[in-house]
Amino acid sequence: MIRNKFLLIILLLWSLCPFFWQVYTSFCSSESILSPLLNIDNRWTLQNYIQLFTSEPPFWRYLLNSTIVGTTSTVLTLIIALPASYALTRINKVFATGFKLFFFIAALFPYVLLFLSLLEIARALNIGNNLFALSLPYASLSLPLAILLLSAAFNDLPKDLEEAAKIEGLGLFQRLRWILIPLIAPATASTSIIIFLFSWNEYPIALTWISKPELITLPVAIARIAGSSVYSVPYGAYAAATVLGSLPLIIIVLLFQKQIIAGLTQGAVKG
Amino acid sequence: MNIILLLPAIFLLCLVFFIPLLRYFWLSLHAYSVSTGLELIPNGGVNWLRLLEDDRFWITTFQTVRFACVSVSVEVVLAIFIALLLDQKFKGIGIARALTLLPWALPTTIMALCWRWIFNTPNGPIERLISLVSNEPLNILSDPHLAWLATVLADIWKTTPFIALILLAGLQTISKDLYEAFRLEGGGKLQAFFTITLPLLRPYLLISLMFRLAQSFGVFDLIQILTGGGPAGSTESVATYAYINAMRFLDFGYSSTIILGGFIVLLLLSLFAMVFYVYSRKIFISKL
Repeated sequence: MIRNKFLLIILLLWSLCPFFWQVYTSFCSSESILSPLLNIDNRWTLQNYIQLFTSEPPFWRYLLNSTIVGTTSTVLTLIIALPASYALTRINKVFATGFKLFFFIAALFPYVLLFLSLLEIARALNIGNNLFALSLPYASLSLPLAILLLSAAFNDLPKDLEEAAKIEGLGLFQRLRWILIPLIAPATASTSIIIFLFSWNEYPIALTWISKPELITLPVAIARIAGSSVYSVPYGAYAAATVLGSLPLIIIVLLFQKQIIAGLTQGAVKG
Repeated sequence: MNIILLLPAIFLLCLVFFIPLLRYFWLSLHAYSVSTGLELIPNGGVNWLRLLEDDRFWITTFQTVRFACVSVSVEVVLAIFIALLLDQKFKGIGIARALTLLPWALPTTIMALCWRWIFNTPNGPIERLISLVSNEPLNILSDPHLAWLATVLADIWKTTPFIALILLAGLQTISKDLYEAFRLEGGGKLQAFFTITLPLLRPYLLISLMFRLAQSFGVFDLIQILTGGGPAGSTESVATYAYINAMRFLDFGYSSTIILGGFIVLLLLSLFAMVFYVYSRKIFISKL
């Protein structure tokens, strides 16, 4: 038991150390980053954070953009995936298996390879540089996993329940809205968080679809900060950016740990 | 009626999966770049012949496959241990699980930037430690071998927790009675691991292997931020190579060919993995 706890602490240190290092660096002045062993007066500073908030556009703008994209993608995915998952449990078994296999392969596909075609679609429809439009590819790419997770949840509901509601005279939409969807709320919550994380973190599509500086999402902003000056060392600013960019996610992970873990494990068990 | 509910989903999936793949195939048969004035000019199989003779493509593909195989196998082995470690009951285990998952939840660009700072020469912590014992800096990100190791290490750091959680789900489906019975029969702990745990984890191992192999084959963000594909292309992946051809050289026809070529390699790789899976069942059953 003691040995296990010791190993667990090592594991946590390994997982968190790079992050602590960033927090430490983000409060260091550039002199102290360059010569950490010297004893200088202005060792600690908030300058790195101030710089991020006074730059144009200010850093919170990227957080806002990512939140917008994350939320719209999640909502859009659910609107399409919930009815589809329900349908999947009510159609012919052979077809359902075929569809599931198709969704499974689509979920495995390394979507990065699609970036060029998706960019062409954005140009053809003239929907580049639009945060709401960006949720279209995100929702489409999240659909396979969402449908697999949600249809597993629908499948677990007793059939009698829906029959009873049918006899009561509820139409399909009413049954979904008032009976079935509320019952699979836990699965919906896990699915939403996983989709939200994906859309928040996605990089290659956001990179190619959005070029206006005030519309770029957080991962792209971080990449721009990283690419701006490869050979100079404004690492304090980098570190402050990574710390601020991680904070919302750390809060999400700690708040929704149960749902995230449930979503991932359901995906594995049902898949 | 029910089929209608599925239609929007199927329409969107065709839009982002099938049409792009067909479009890539179409583009790969055309010259389509800045030098053609962004006009599609059919050029037969010239792109494909160029791909076959493009050493850089084959080196990149080899590097990508090597990256995927090495990092995923290390991740799976580590993940088994981590899953066993997290499969205990005591106060605070939920928080511990959430914290180990954190590297996976962060955007890859953020964590790649973290690691770039850690591997920095001469100001990163690793080089500082090295400087205490030697005057020669390692120059981690400018040495081809070390830069490659750095990308593997960062990938392991990021995705091992993900696999560990999937395996943890598998561990929790195994009845504790099995271990009890095995212990009463006089079996040791290590033996129990090989005769009970590992065979029963196989489906979960398969899922995580397939998913991770496919995803790490498409590695992009990590490479672009951490090494930019360098030094001298030694960490380039298929996705970054295709990206450079499309966005820097503006040669969309050839970029499509690279993407399809990579896709074909991935298909062959998956086929190979399937054969291995069937074969591994034989090994496991003969052990029992």
